[in-house]
Amino acid sequence: MQMVDFEFRKEIVKKDFSLNYCYQCVTCSSTCPVALITHGEYNPRKIIEESLLGLKDLLIKDQKPNVWLCCTCQMCVEECPQNVFLTEIFENIKNRIVLLGEFYPETFKMQAKVVMENGLAIPLTPAIIRRRQQLNLPKVESANINELKKLFAATNFEKKISL
Amino acid sequence: MTYSYFLGCVIPGRLPFLEASVRRTFNKIGIKVGDQAKCSCCPDPTGVAQLDQETFLALGARNLCLFEESKNNILSLCSGCTETLKSVKYILDKDDEKKKVINSKLKLIGKNYKGNVDIKHFAEVLYENLEKIKKMVKNPLKDLKIAGHPGCHYLRPSEIINWDDPLNPETLDKIIEAIGADPVDYNLKNDCCGNPLEKSNKEISLNMLENKLKSMKDAGTDCIACVCPACYQQFDFNQKEINKNKNTNYNFPVFYITELIALALGIDTEELGLKFHRIKVNEILEKIN
Repeated sequence: MQMVDFEFRKEIVKKDFSLNYCYQCVTCSSTCPVALITHGEYNPRKIIEESLLGLKDLLIKDQKPNVWLCCTCQMCVEECPQNVFLTEIFENIKNRIVLLGEFYPETFKMQAKVVMENGLAIPLTPAIIRRRQQLNLPKVESANINELKKLFAATNFEKKISL
Repeated sequence: MTYSYFLGCVIPGRLPFLEASVRRTFNKIGIKVGDQAKCSCCPDPTGVAQLDQETFLALGARNLCLFEESKNNILSLCSGCTETLKSVKYILDKDDEKKKVINSKLKLIGKNYKGNVDIKHFAEVLYENLEKIKKMVKNPLKDLKIAGHPGCHYLRPSEIINWDDPLNPETLDKIIEAIGADPVDYNLKNDCCGNPLEKSNKEISLNMLENKLKSMKDAGTDCIACVCPACYQQFDFNQKEINKNKNTNYNFPVFYITELIALALGIDTEELGLKFHRIKVNEILEKIN
């Protein structure tokens, strides 16, 4: 049985009050390209409904529907007649999944790791540096990694994402 | 107003020929753009932001500070970076509490975010200079049917991106018109290319791409024009993947809009690195010459 978690509901609304405006008209799901392709298995309306009801375990543990399937195209946000900022709410749910140490797709963790080590999501390889020279492009002077390390430590990023 | 480039990660690290086309085009039009050193990943609005908003804001604000210090506005080469940098500014300028928290982190590296930097997508600046571009066209790309793919973060969320119409975009098609080509009107123009799900769910990602390609094909497309490196990769790298799995033969050459402008302005193809495209562009070059 799914239990209502009032604290969770309060936290989600506090972060984005627009959640309260949803009247479940299904415009979001009918405009969502991922809902179309998965025949409704991914369903933004349902994620909003579960948030409104405070069904924390369904959203965070079972991940039904799987909020990580949002492609962030923001069509739902533009089409919503009630100005619910769906993608902000989804982002908040994903942040909570990560913080609570629940499962999230490996690719996100890998990208975060590369950024922490190199400052860039795609470090410049010797082959690319040669290609840049071939194309007469200037040298890329990227960020001082020690500066970034201080910021990652200050936000406690490594611990938050369970690296 | 002076600009410096924000290069991001994908273009300098994987698709430097797209960077070449932007730099050559802006030079040719006579818009001076500087280089900003020491930037990090923006960070990715579909990556780090989804893991932890605080880290997203701190890294993004550090990048914004670099431009504030050098008193240059930002000219971004990528729609994802544009969304990140505009979002970070939007959130911090609106929320004093958050700004205070982020500035307390930035203090550790001797920085302070104030909020006086402007962010533009490179295509926004090209659009502002459209009359000038029209006058400079040497080789109009006559009879070339180009399917413009505006992509998501170029337009949405409109509250933050705040320029073209988020549901009926027209800027990219206007640029295509300005260089003498025919913008293709296709049904799924507004849809996502599927790139953000490419690594986490390839099947859905490729299905999204296939829907777009079919819509483009039905409308009689010769080639595709992008304004974002993530979309560019999805179209240029993954048409083959679809053909492998399904009985299709998609083979649309994919261009950055600046490559097409450069061709129309008569910039030497040798300077553009068109040979680095995965789907060969020779047929299109023959068609326009």
